[in-house]
Amino acid sequence: MRQLFANRTSSILLQEKCDEADEKSVSKQKPGDESGNTVVVAPPEFRFMYPEFLPDPAMERRNRLKEKLERIDMLQRRSVVEIPEFYTGSVMAVTVADANSPNKFARFVGICIQRGGSGLRAWFILRNVVDKQGVEILYEMYCPLIQKIEVLRLERRLDESLLYLRDALPEYSTFPLDMEPERRLNNSVVPINPLKVKLRPRPWLERWERQNLQGVEDLNLPQRFYDKAEKVAKPWEKYDLMLQYRKTIPAEEQEKIFSDVHSQLQQQEFKRKMRRRRGTDNEQ
Amino acid sequence: MFWLFFNHEQVRTMSRVKRRTTHPPYWHVLKNNQRQDEKISSDNLRFVREVIQDKYKNKSPIKGSDLDIEKKEWDPKTKRSGVIARNIGVQHMWEKDGKKVVCTVLHVLDNHVIRYVPPEEYAKSIIGAKVFRNRKPLGCLVVGAEAANPDRFTRQYCSLFSEVGLLPKKRLARFIVTPNAVLPPCTPLTAGHFVIGQAVDVYGKTIDYGFQGVVKRWGFKGGPASHGATKFHRRGGTIGTGRDKARVWPGQKMPGHMGSERRFCRGLKIVRINMKYNVIYVKGTVPGPTNSIVQIFDTLLPRRKFTEAPPHPTYFPPEDGTLPQEDIWDSSLHVFGSPSISV
Repeated sequence: MRQLFANRTSSILLQEKCDEADEKSVSKQKPGDESGNTVVVAPPEFRFMYPEFLPDPAMERRNRLKEKLERIDMLQRRSVVEIPEFYTGSVMAVTVADANSPNKFARFVGICIQRGGSGLRAWFILRNVVDKQGVEILYEMYCPLIQKIEVLRLERRLDESLLYLRDALPEYSTFPLDMEPERRLNNSVVPINPLKVKLRPRPWLERWERQNLQGVEDLNLPQRFYDKAEKVAKPWEKYDLMLQYRKTIPAEEQEKIFSDVHSQLQQQEFKRKMRRRRGTDNEQ
Repeated sequence: MFWLFFNHEQVRTMSRVKRRTTHPPYWHVLKNNQRQDEKISSDNLRFVREVIQDKYKNKSPIKGSDLDIEKKEWDPKTKRSGVIARNIGVQHMWEKDGKKVVCTVLHVLDNHVIRYVPPEEYAKSIIGAKVFRNRKPLGCLVVGAEAANPDRFTRQYCSLFSEVGLLPKKRLARFIVTPNAVLPPCTPLTAGHFVIGQAVDVYGKTIDYGFQGVVKRWGFKGGPASHGATKFHRRGGTIGTGRDKARVWPGQKMPGHMGSERRFCRGLKIVRINMKYNVIYVKGTVPGPTNSIVQIFDTLLPRRKFTEAPPHPTYFPPEDGTLPQEDIWDSSLHVFGSPSISV
């Protein structure tokens, strides 16, 4: 029997953001080709580390002044709480102020299966299996109830959205609730975990064979599923330049946005490092 | 006997009213320039721009002490001027107990008062006669927003502004004011005109959905999706009884143009004012799509009106040169730079 229980802190319906996935996959193919010549331009990795600073690409709803004010608010919030760099596939722990829990704070550990939203509405979903019950929680990154966000294991997976973990064997979504943060050997590169997940036998929540998933083992379905998937597929979309253009923010604008923002983010990082060093010195 | 209780009379009168037009009223002056682009050389173009700049040179900002009209005291029956703003989007904020609040961001454009029409004169105009048919007439303040290049407007339209020496504005609006809240022409109106925590009414034109069917426009349920329904999934169904009156009643709900109508959102609370960028954050949503123009004024709702005097007749920056507080927050909101909420 399928045991899936989704619990959300906010009552928003989840929508698969394939457009986010497309944008990420396009940019993943050439991570090192762009170079910022001037000092003001932020490093190109910023659009992967802080994707919520980029606004929603829909032109009818864009306004430069509002985006600027929203970014100021986001940086204000980040100065109080450290919102670290993370990707789908990273294991994270979030501490939230909760009136109903015994010690007023609730801590949840899970793997990030999806992230989306832009600006102050940015969210991510953590999934874990607790007492054989799958639990997913959607957290809004800039909600002031969040006390702490820790990344216990920083890594990426082969897909941008790990929603197939709901149909996978539970061991792939289980993480100990008292997991310690893992140290990375190589700080410059975020490792990609080439894990191929085994799915449970059908029925599934979605037609995974139609979604070109890289991180899933061979689905072993009868041929008619793959034939239907081919019929329904849209192979021309990868050649559609205007579709990509409408889904992404142009590179010049991205540079402008991140050049506004990166100096402040770097200052905040620096202050945190100094605080941590001073903290360890005090302990010694 | 159901038809006895259905108020057909009211529906019939309202169905005859024309709800929207694509052209302005006939008494308006022709606004946009119809002529084609003339081929001007770049030198001449530069000269034209210099002439415009000289003509509309920046005037020194009006101080509160310079008001020609004697400053009259505020009383609870005063109606202040309103403000033209642009709805630039929606931002999520949080209250001090962690509850999320959807706030609309309104950017107060460069508003200037164009002229004042005294009550006696306004009562004689077409609109004024209708509005003040049975009550004491009030004055009307014409406010303009969004200065633009005079080249794109006709001479008659520019003359509306050249009397006061202002660059012609793209948008004009009228606000009904009591005579003690009158402002002289060229007075700028900014976000400081409003007070944190006050209730405002926002008037805008709703989102234009175009020609819409009966399901979206009136919320009809349509027909069954399956079970043999032939071509009856989103249709209206019956439009009359057939017996009494033997015709379709006027006002029968049918497909048609939906949206692009003037609507008011009453009693929205102002939760944050940014004086530097002239931006107001209002709790709730506002009629109209993003980047559309709205008008904001003090609320008509009797229980949410002012109890103390607001900046009357409008806000003027302090004369001793001190800058006002840049970002003012309502006491119920959680400020982003402050520590996380612990319940």
